[in-house]
Amino acid sequence: MTDITIFDALPDTVVAPEPTRPRLLVIGTALVAGAMSMGMAGLLGIYVESRAAVLAEGGVWLPSGVSIPLTQPNMMAITLVMSVVAMAWAVSAIRHDDRANTYIALTLCVIFGFSYLAQTAFLFEIMGMPAAGDDLGRPPLIYALVGAHLIIMGVATLYVVIMGLRTLGGNYSAKDVEGIYGAALFWNVAVVLYLIVWYAIYITK
Amino acid sequence: MALTQTRTESDSTERIEPSSKPALEQLLSTSDHKTVGRMWVVSGVVIALFALALSAATGFEHMNLGSVDLFEDEGQFTQAWSMGRTLLLFGGVVPILVGLATYLAPLQVGSSAIAFGRGAAAAFWTWLLSTLVLVLAYIGNGGPAGGVKDAVLLWILAFGTVVLAICWALVCIATTILGARTVGLRMDRLPASTWAYLVFALLGLMSLPILIGELGLAYIDVTADYLADKQARMSLLSVTTSISLAPALYWISIPVLGMAIDIVQSQTGRPVRFHRLALSLLGSLGLLAFAADTLSFGGRGRPVDFNNAILVIGVLAAVLPILLLLSLALDSVKSGSIPINTPLVGSLLSMALLLVGSAVSLLAQIEPIVGFIEKVSGRSVSLSSALSLNGSAFHDGIRGLIVGATFLGCVGAIHHWAHKIWGRSLDDKLGMVTLLLGLVGTLAWGVGMVGAGFLGEPALPVISTGLKSGVEALNTVAAIGFVSLAGAAALLTMNVVRTAFGGGSLLEPWSGSSLEWMTSSPPPVGNFTEAPVLPPASSVERDSLVGAPASDSTSQGA
Repeated sequence: MTDITIFDALPDTVVAPEPTRPRLLVIGTALVAGAMSMGMAGLLGIYVESRAAVLAEGGVWLPSGVSIPLTQPNMMAITLVMSVVAMAWAVSAIRHDDRANTYIALTLCVIFGFSYLAQTAFLFEIMGMPAAGDDLGRPPLIYALVGAHLIIMGVATLYVVIMGLRTLGGNYSAKDVEGIYGAALFWNVAVVLYLIVWYAIYITK
Repeated sequence: MALTQTRTESDSTERIEPSSKPALEQLLSTSDHKTVGRMWVVSGVVIALFALALSAATGFEHMNLGSVDLFEDEGQFTQAWSMGRTLLLFGGVVPILVGLATYLAPLQVGSSAIAFGRGAAAAFWTWLLSTLVLVLAYIGNGGPAGGVKDAVLLWILAFGTVVLAICWALVCIATTILGARTVGLRMDRLPASTWAYLVFALLGLMSLPILIGELGLAYIDVTADYLADKQARMSLLSVTTSISLAPALYWISIPVLGMAIDIVQSQTGRPVRFHRLALSLLGSLGLLAFAADTLSFGGRGRPVDFNNAILVIGVLAAVLPILLLLSLALDSVKSGSIPINTPLVGSLLSMALLLVGSAVSLLAQIEPIVGFIEKVSGRSVSLSSALSLNGSAFHDGIRGLIVGATFLGCVGAIHHWAHKIWGRSLDDKLGMVTLLLGLVGTLAWGVGMVGAGFLGEPALPVISTGLKSGVEALNTVAAIGFVSLAGAAALLTMNVVRTAFGGGSLLEPWSGSSLEWMTSSPPPVGNFTEAPVLPPASSVERDSLVGAPASDSTSQGA
């Protein structure tokens, strides 16, 4: 029996491949998402502390005549959870170079994003929370918190649109999925932030 | 090439053709991190000079308590005080650090460009324009204690944009260090300054968004008339309180400590022992600063809770990493050659002053610790009223020591890397005078305000009477300190402008083992003419290339 050494087949000129480098766009997105989360955490901390202080003094947190319905916030949560599925679909599709499915998934994601924005506007309308007034006694922190998240979702939607257009232009494919990964990361963080807002504001009221 | 994509083999050797655009157009449209870094540094130095001159004016006002002499009224005095302190931090010291990191970090990791080059340039221009708008908002009677609602709103927007722009610059720096390192450059082999830039950037990205959130809430308060008059708008001062106190303020000292370590090993020819320990100490100082800054959660419009255990532990613990880093630096100085020049003296002075600042800040912890003992034991402990320092001017003295130390560290760093930045050296004699003025100014600011705090002067800004004799004298000492620091900033500005416009020696005065020294001064477009090769791993912790004689300059001029 002959010994076979497979390494003999390698020529001397072969060098080790360059190690895989982390993706800069994904790293940058992760840093921005982290910073954004800290900003939201700061606002949430202020909200929770203010609410606890009012309740500890025996006060009522929501002004009289204001009620926060649960139907809309729940629907918004479900919408955003569905958008996460759509985003996972887009990532999977681009990894398999399935452009048609990538476009459909990204479009769905954007539609979900707009739905969330529209539902929030409707919720503000029916909630009846005044922006200011003598009877309010304190600033309506809910607008600061939800408003900040609206901005984040707006940016996330814009990010997805831009990456979708770049994919359409041929920038991203199975060989380079960085843009779609970045958009997906940002989107998912934005959804997680909403789930925290949903619990802290809409559930605990 | 803007680094927004995965590096490929060809990226590291790709060259960018020099632009043939007119100089001004080139300046406005550049995405080259070297030009952007230079602009950050020069703008930061000039704005620091302006901020210190303004702080000197408010210092002179403090010399005569009980009346307003130099300013129209207390509101205007408060605005000027706020403008001086805010601009010194967010218009001067932090931008200088961001500029040095923008310039040096890509070179030190062997990258041809900074990540998101156009974004880095946009961050600079956004910061510059919003800083100008911030000054205009103050002039238009905005800011804390502002009398014009629209100007106050403009102040909030401009300040928020300044912080946002700094955040974006930090994203570019951190992304470059994390993702654009040359092959083989592991995190534990990063130069101390690069590691410190990373800690600085990550810490800023975790802390500054909270400040933006606070500004957003302040905007709602002013818009909805919850802060309807000047008196109510005094509370806007609290927006920046937590980030401008120790240990959160150690955030700005981290890159200075990192740069000091690199400068010491380059100047003495002896690398610091325990390179990884030095990196760990820088990281731990960052963690302590971050833990303390998170105390600002829920701190809207209220003073900092000095009785918080995390804050007390943070202040106590922060002394240790600073002390150990200084020890490591002194160990290199002891075993190497000792050139007396601006970079080395500036670095050692800044470390020593930081240690003094952190040690003196321990005094303010006696009060909360005694309070804790009283609570646990149930017995009353007699504490001298002089040690009730929290809520007094004492903390402005600590701020003075830390900011002054950081400024001196920046002077040393700018001198050390001047040849790399402009292709010419700064005047070393002028640098030593700058350091002397800076040292006198820092000590005077620190001693004046710490002493006034002991005598019961409340937290600044204040126009009050009934204070113990000696407070005005100590305020005068602090005012002289501001004048001295402003003089130092003026000399640094003069030195930098002279070098940027062609003055100074062309001969590269020293070298180092990190990658920025393996290219010409200033580096060509694309930074490296060929892919940089890392020195052997052992040279990071032992003597080899560090301190090697300077090679013939391949300078390309300024």
